[in-house]
Amino acid sequence: MHRLWACTSREIGMKFLPLVWSGLWRRPARSVLTGLCIVIAFLLLGLLDGVNAGFAKAIADAHRDLLVTNTRVRGGGQMPISAMATIQSIPGVKEVAPRAYFMGSYREPAAKNTVAAIATQPELFFRLRPALIVAKGGLDAMRATRAGMLATPALLEYFGWKIGDTITVRSQILKTDGSSDWTFTLVGTFDTAKEPSRAYFGIINYSYFDEYRVENRGTAETFYLRIADPSKAVATAAAVDRIFANSSHETRTRSDQERAEYQAKQMGDVAFFTNSIMGAVLFTLAFLTGNTLRQSLQERTPEFAILKALGYTDLGILSLAYTEALLLFMPPAALGLALAYLVAPLAKEDIGAIVVSPAVTLAGLLCAALLALIGASLPALRLSRMSIVASLGKR
Amino acid sequence: MNLVSQILAVTAMNLRSIPQRLGNSLVIVVGIAGVVAVLISVLAMSLGFRTTINGDARVDRAIVLSRGATAESESSLSRENVAAVMNAAGIRHDAQDRPIISAELILVAPVARKRDNSDVNITLRGVGAQYFAIRTELKLVAGRMFHAGKQELLVGSSAREQFAGLEIGNQVRLQDGDWTVVGTFAGANGSRESEVIADAQTVMSAYKLDAVSSVSVLLDSESSFSGLKDALAEDPTLSVDVRTEPEYLATASSTVNRMLRIVAYVIGSIMALGALFGALNSMHSAVAARTVEMATLRAIGFSSTAVAAAVLIEALLLALAGAAAGVAIAYAAFNGTTISTLGGAVWDSQLVYSLNITPPLVVIAILIACTLGLMGGIFPAIRAARSNVANALHET
Repeated sequence: MHRLWACTSREIGMKFLPLVWSGLWRRPARSVLTGLCIVIAFLLLGLLDGVNAGFAKAIADAHRDLLVTNTRVRGGGQMPISAMATIQSIPGVKEVAPRAYFMGSYREPAAKNTVAAIATQPELFFRLRPALIVAKGGLDAMRATRAGMLATPALLEYFGWKIGDTITVRSQILKTDGSSDWTFTLVGTFDTAKEPSRAYFGIINYSYFDEYRVENRGTAETFYLRIADPSKAVATAAAVDRIFANSSHETRTRSDQERAEYQAKQMGDVAFFTNSIMGAVLFTLAFLTGNTLRQSLQERTPEFAILKALGYTDLGILSLAYTEALLLFMPPAALGLALAYLVAPLAKEDIGAIVVSPAVTLAGLLCAALLALIGASLPALRLSRMSIVASLGKR
Repeated sequence: MNLVSQILAVTAMNLRSIPQRLGNSLVIVVGIAGVVAVLISVLAMSLGFRTTINGDARVDRAIVLSRGATAESESSLSRENVAAVMNAAGIRHDAQDRPIISAELILVAPVARKRDNSDVNITLRGVGAQYFAIRTELKLVAGRMFHAGKQELLVGSSAREQFAGLEIGNQVRLQDGDWTVVGTFAGANGSRESEVIADAQTVMSAYKLDAVSSVSVLLDSESSFSGLKDALAEDPTLSVDVRTEPEYLATASSTVNRMLRIVAYVIGSIMALGALFGALNSMHSAVAARTVEMATLRAIGFSSTAVAAAVLIEALLLALAGAAAGVAIAYAAFNGTTISTLGGAVWDSQLVYSLNITPPLVVIAILIACTLGLMGGIFPAIRAARSNVANALHET
């Protein structure tokens, strides 16, 4: 046995890879077509798993120490701004920022020229919304200019605004002076951290907005909170909601993470959908490639018999078969996943983030290796156990 | 022997030998079954969504929105606007000579989805007293009509089935306290069954709102639409757009719908490409394994056309078997399943619709399968027909 292995490794071993290689290209058309199938399958698997990973990432990226309090019934009564102090006094709450919503149009037609802005305390707001990044100097400018507005670069570009411009926005929100034209000065920019230049909205000072509006004065639609201990998120959220219980403006407080999960669920059952398709693809692929491997190995029974007669061990035959299967699977699988990585950004606009992350790639490659080994196992075992005489006789 | 009987003979011979090379032939069947099952399931979803949105669109119904708005959710009309629309020409009147219109506003009601108990929103629609007179396809099937001024709700039957807490007698927490479910309505194929409705005036006072989103009107006839349009355009106090219902539904295209279609076609075509390679592979080895057989046939006088045609027919038949299997899988798994996703009248409200494997979908499945079968069979068929008889026989 020891002698045999030595012989295998020294003499036959040198021929091992060329042998696998020539086995792979014995029927080039078949290998190429199977390879293409694998490329396509892993392109699809990469994309679908990427969709799952995209949602999972959104949930994982969410900050566990940030809570959001909204009125439970949308469009209903809003929370009094005075509640901010009460919320602040709840143990474990570190910071609170209010949010009210301003909307209007810059010019006619109104539907195509909407200006939406968040009225808040900018300094607190940007600390509590890490997904938004304010450009340098923006916060100081907002402090200095009460009627200031920060806008995203996309919004500036859409209307052709420049920093320093004074703009008038016509809104359905009535002002105390009887008009509904709101005037703001553009003092700076901010943008979303993840997808720059895709967001169109502005940020204005809550104090300015609230002073001049007629309706809903002294209220906020949303409070953003930062808590000291993320593990107490549920208890803190419940404490906030208790403040407003049985009022005309009951609230629902969620952690950022819960909100991300909620959004994923709102989409419909994404994971179920993608998993079903992935299952169908994998099953089909396993069947198809399993068949190819079986055929290709079976056809060469006499050749393997000769190898065995020459002194190849059972193990040697098995490793030949497995190596060939892996060589057939891995490069196309890697190519498919690479394609998925390249294609994924194209789907952003319609489907949302598809993240072909290292984890997705690794899972895909493992999957490919598993498929190769399973597909090759049965025929390879049969080959390694065959009787040399009988197999040679088949020739 | 003429060509037809030659083809038949070779095909029959090929088919009889399938059991001996079952694995290989099954590759085509399984590959195409996978493509067909996935593609028609996703298409059924997209189709179910679209039919529900387009629902019971009628050409003699029109919807008035504020100018520039393409969806109810973007539109806002004052009470004065509603009064002006009410008196416009072209609107049908009921027996008491009241114009048949419904001023509507849309909000959302938070509910729990039964399937996974997740918090979702459904559309809460405030409607006028004539709502059921305009939407004759909708009927009250249980309970009674809401009383104006009371906080009462009617629930669409799809919504009642899909979401918890919407049975008659249940209380739903909305603005200004609990609202009681007093009845359910059904009868449409459309999106309205995914909604809960209440008296518009009551909703407006509870939510302290002063405007509605849209006004729906029933026209005297299809042809009176232009009269209404002109009347509204001439009124200097109004700045509105009016569209017939089919026209409105066509413009208010939903991003969810677009996404479903894109997913269906992208995934479908990627899978189809994979299945094509599989079919090619399988027919290729089917021909390769029978080189000698086919050469023999040609040596004893069968035409190469007959041999090639037989290969093609075999590929087609296997593909059709795959299509049948794929349709059967999709049918067993999804036919009649009711699901809800985003797509209601408000951007984050749910739309309930069902997946139906309809005859047109089956036809699509068959067409795809045939295309794949033909494309997969054609090159091997040509190869079979072209191979040199003497060389091929030599291979023994």
